[in-house]
Amino acid sequence: MTRMTSGERMQAIMMGKKPDRVPVNPFVMGYAAQITGISIGDYYADGDKCFEAQFAAMRLHGYDVTPMYGYASAGPWEFGGEIGFPYKSGHSAPYVIKHPVNSVEDVENLEVPDFDKELPGAYGIADILGKRCYELGMPVTFQSGSTFTAASVVAETSLFLRWVIKEPKILHLLLDKVSDMYVNALEYFAEKYGAEKCMPFDGGPVESNTLLSPKQFKEFAYPHMEKLHMKIKELGFPAVLMHPCADQNLNIPYYIELREKMNWQGRYIWLFGPETPVPDQIKAFGDHDIICGNVDPPSLQTRSYEEVVMMCKENIEQGKDSPSGFILAPGCEFPPGAAPIKLMAMMDAAEKFGRYD
Amino acid sequence: MWVVEVITNEEEILKGLAEAVIKGNEEKSTELAQEALKMRIDPYDAIMNGCSKGMNVVSDLYEKKEMFVPEILLSADAMYAALDILRPHLKVDTTVKKPAKIVIGVAQGDIHDIGKNLVKMMLDVAGFEIVDLGRDIAPEAYIEKANEANADIVAISALMTTSMMNIEPVIKGIKDKNLKAKVVVGGAPISSEFAEEIGADGYADDAVSAVRLVKKLMGG
Repeated sequence: MTRMTSGERMQAIMMGKKPDRVPVNPFVMGYAAQITGISIGDYYADGDKCFEAQFAAMRLHGYDVTPMYGYASAGPWEFGGEIGFPYKSGHSAPYVIKHPVNSVEDVENLEVPDFDKELPGAYGIADILGKRCYELGMPVTFQSGSTFTAASVVAETSLFLRWVIKEPKILHLLLDKVSDMYVNALEYFAEKYGAEKCMPFDGGPVESNTLLSPKQFKEFAYPHMEKLHMKIKELGFPAVLMHPCADQNLNIPYYIELREKMNWQGRYIWLFGPETPVPDQIKAFGDHDIICGNVDPPSLQTRSYEEVVMMCKENIEQGKDSPSGFILAPGCEFPPGAAPIKLMAMMDAAEKFGRYD
Repeated sequence: MWVVEVITNEEEILKGLAEAVIKGNEEKSTELAQEALKMRIDPYDAIMNGCSKGMNVVSDLYEKKEMFVPEILLSADAMYAALDILRPHLKVDTTVKKPAKIVIGVAQGDIHDIGKNLVKMMLDVAGFEIVDLGRDIAPEAYIEKANEANADIVAISALMTTSMMNIEPVIKGIKDKNLKAKVVVGGAPISSEFAEEIGADGYADDAVSAVRLVKKLMGG
């Protein structure tokens, strides 16, 4: 098979065709800052710098996905709280300084961010990056969830988790307002760039089963996720990057339910954590969706080049023949402090073990 | 007849305290802790055979994935409500060996403290004395506090691949200063291999095993 460019490779897999080899999505964020000599703080605070760092990293390594903007503590800034950018030792992503919700009354008074005037919070930064991608013909990727994880930081987190049992109605009200923010975001990006040019990104760790039971996931996370995904279908987005972060094995039946209920022609790109075996993902979604690998992220930082190649080989062998395609990826963000040779190991493994010819 | 009734009531109170903790019923645990004092039940018994017994059941259910963090937080609220009432009435027995002292915190650069708080609570219930430094704690602060408190254990959690790199300097600092504290680590990106590589004395992958680990290190 003729060697494809990254763009051709991704287009092939998105169209359900076989690319020349397994594409690589190293889920690079803070790492791009580290290897391009800017601070991780600037990377998250400045849309242009964020784009340029990722654009340089993708050209340097030759991986197959384009720049995107997002972080796990999204929500508080958009709802009037305060976040800090990661400038200190050990920081790797923006963090919450002030939660906008600290009481039941705060939920009742909370106003859904308006996208008609100045974009709320980090959406202004995401839009700068989105525009740069759009100008180069790359997909505009923006955060459209998860509602549950965003709501868990809009409210003070331990209070939020107590409300799962003590204040279910208030919790639903909060989740509804947060999902309304994401509806506004979906409408904004669809209108500005065209839904067919965009790829919403949905995911978060707080609904994982290390914190939440599957019953609680069904009661609180699922309905708001369904609302947003119906909106995604209605607006005509062609694909969604889904990252059920950390251990979400007990929630998989509800993600399957969502997929079936959506009855959607578009495609999910599933990027589960290392806790979810690739064969289980293929069984659940492989017939119509793209499955990503889930190489253990800390190991990318702590293991040798040779060990990382072998971990990627195993991942590729498990996923390569998934009916609707497979992308080699870590199970979460590529460690910002990992040596560049580890990303090279992912690329080398894809070249050596991921070819389809 | 009267004696039998007192024993029955005492058992009921202890059983009720355990159940209130399991169910996360703060109102009930408060009421029963006050009742225990009124009935002159030894506060130590009320804590160990009531609250702690309840929390042990909570730990088991958490380990079996039959109970999750929202319920555990309410159980902790119920337990601490009872402890606040009972602890001031504990008799000080100078012949009893003092509990091991644990300095606990989240690694520098990390603000994720739910896991740390669960470990802290489980260790507290298991009878250890806890000094909680909080989150985003610089390596020097652990070393300084371990020295000042003459700590037996320093427990550090990290949830990021960046912040986990700030644990090794704590271990090095403790060794350099010849402090007696053993360092135990945990958190999503950390593995037993990583713990070993950085010279930690132990690794636990959840709050329940953290208690087991600390007890083992303390010779229990």
